[in-house]
Amino acid sequence: MIDAISAGLFALLTPQAVLFLFLGVIYGLVIGILPGLGGVVAMALLLPFTYGFETAATLALLLGAHIATIWGDSVTSILFSVPGSAKGLALCFDGYPMTKQGKAKRALAASATGALLGGIIGAVFLALCIPLIRPVILALGPSEYLMMALWGLTVIATFSEGSLMKGMTASVLGVLVAFIGTDVVTATPRFTFGSEFLMDGISFPVAMIGLFAVSEMMKMSIRGTPIIDRSLVSEDSTVWQGVCDAFRHWWLVVRSSLLGLWIGVLPGVGASVAGLAAYAQAVQTSKTPERFGKGAVEGVIAPDATMGANEGGGLMPTLAFGIPGGESMAILLVAFIGLGIVPGPDMLTKNLDVVFSMVWIIVLANIMVTIIGLGITPWLARLPSLQANLMVPMVLSVCFVGAYATRGRIEDVVVAAVFGVIGYLMDKYRYSRANFVIGMVLAVMIERNLHISINLYGADFLLDRPIALAMLIFVVVTAVLPFWREQRRKRAALQAGGVT
Amino acid sequence: MSRHAQENLVSLILLGLFGLVLWLCQDFGPRARLIPLPLAVFGIALTVAQFAWHNFGREDARPMEMISVDTSAITATGEGRPRTERTEEQLGQWGETGAYFIVALLVAMIFAIGIFPTVFVFTAAYLILTRYCTAVRGLAYSAALTASIYLLFAVALEMQPYHGLLAGRMS
Repeated sequence: MIDAISAGLFALLTPQAVLFLFLGVIYGLVIGILPGLGGVVAMALLLPFTYGFETAATLALLLGAHIATIWGDSVTSILFSVPGSAKGLALCFDGYPMTKQGKAKRALAASATGALLGGIIGAVFLALCIPLIRPVILALGPSEYLMMALWGLTVIATFSEGSLMKGMTASVLGVLVAFIGTDVVTATPRFTFGSEFLMDGISFPVAMIGLFAVSEMMKMSIRGTPIIDRSLVSEDSTVWQGVCDAFRHWWLVVRSSLLGLWIGVLPGVGASVAGLAAYAQAVQTSKTPERFGKGAVEGVIAPDATMGANEGGGLMPTLAFGIPGGESMAILLVAFIGLGIVPGPDMLTKNLDVVFSMVWIIVLANIMVTIIGLGITPWLARLPSLQANLMVPMVLSVCFVGAYATRGRIEDVVVAAVFGVIGYLMDKYRYSRANFVIGMVLAVMIERNLHISINLYGADFLLDRPIALAMLIFVVVTAVLPFWREQRRKRAALQAGGVT
Repeated sequence: MSRHAQENLVSLILLGLFGLVLWLCQDFGPRARLIPLPLAVFGIALTVAQFAWHNFGREDARPMEMISVDTSAITATGEGRPRTERTEEQLGQWGETGAYFIVALLVAMIFAIGIFPTVFVFTAAYLILTRYCTAVRGLAYSAALTASIYLLFAVALEMQPYHGLLAGRMS
């Protein structure tokens, strides 16, 4: 194994591999910052350039670009509350309030350092767990994935402190919107009203652009003031503070990284769920959960550490079984074909050096992204103080071009506009946009796995799947826990009030 | 319209929406409606509960939901004193109508003259009309933005641009 680890590293020390890694990281950062374009687009566009080069260099280009998009996504979530893709959503909850409080530098630095530590921890644990993960993956089936998705939905309880009923209504709406289009199980067109365009469903990135970016620009055009008015709020944080924050909350980073690694290992779950799950566990395990949503740095560190580690985890099922851990891993599989790499059990025995090359790429790309990220943070932190009259036309233009570019369909421009208005109204009447998006993300996963579970094990499938049953109990406990804690806190406050 | 009435209107719209889903589900097979149907019923129950809570719940127990946009950045200074330049009333309905108009105009322009001409015209017009900068500077900024977007999306990412309905008519 030591030989494979060193061989994997040496393969990456050629000038071509180093250059490709650098180019991939820069390209990924740019793509990640653009709305609607994430790691999948970044890798897909690089595929034609992957033929005829060294294997390690090609993998460095693809994986480097993909890893850089994660932090690129985080940047817009933190600075403008505009997630480039679903992965960055959790960063909006505390990153954006930090920006509004004049702590953008700290938030960006904490985010970059959190992602770096997550990436390294994820890669190290991945290397150690390679022999153990195979039986674990094989033990899980659709029923267990269904429970994981349900657990994701219980996260909603965490985000709906203001009005639980409105929060739940928003998530129901999100789930129903995800059902627009042809049902993958029965091939029934649902809620399409005979429209050919709607048969393909609502594009998730386009809906995100509308819900967050367009609606934020509408708000900004109404206010007429920048996100941060420097005459009112000065930028009083430093990059160093953010770096220290990530190290100070080292236990949160470790927990979040392991969670990210675990979610990455599960095929088809994806980084969007990972970010939200990390945020939820950060809230649930915090001694001061009331600080979350108001600019708690832990709310930035946890999702980024998880997403950093998630990529390492996603490699496992892709390499060991040829089952992609997510969409980006599916593109990596296509690249493997071009490179003559055959995924399967042999990858973990005969081609272990290639596996470790990828582990090293994850580590090196994360280090590169963090160094570049920390370097450009002071400039990025100035962006939210740009005048509204400059920001609104520029960001709106980029958003609509991004919406069109997602699928190359002009109807998506209308979808982005409609979701922009919906997002604005939801924000105005306090229906959580985050809950809506969580509903959209998890709807398809819940429906697909429910149908497969019923087909395989019958309607009472939980009785046949003890792991799923245990997970359901865990879901119920984690759903009830925040309410029980809140009740206990209120009771304690009442008692304290009575004593004084 | 008062905020209270607006909240009720939103509840009624949601009720109609969930009702529509319920009605549309009748045309689906049992497997296709396995999740949407109970979900729509749940949505109706939630909306009715929200409506009842909003109108008949205890005043002191209701959550604070009367804020429209994030006004903290507008109305408060760093020291917590209120700003007097633009109040929420002044921002009011005209600002909101303006925001809807901007989005609708942008979409209409994209459909009419295509993606890239729209970016240039819209950005230039916005910068000049809001007096952010002089006409010459506005045109220069817009040209720079359009060129950047074109290079990034059309050249680097090989996106096929949409040329608009007018271009189709002319050809």
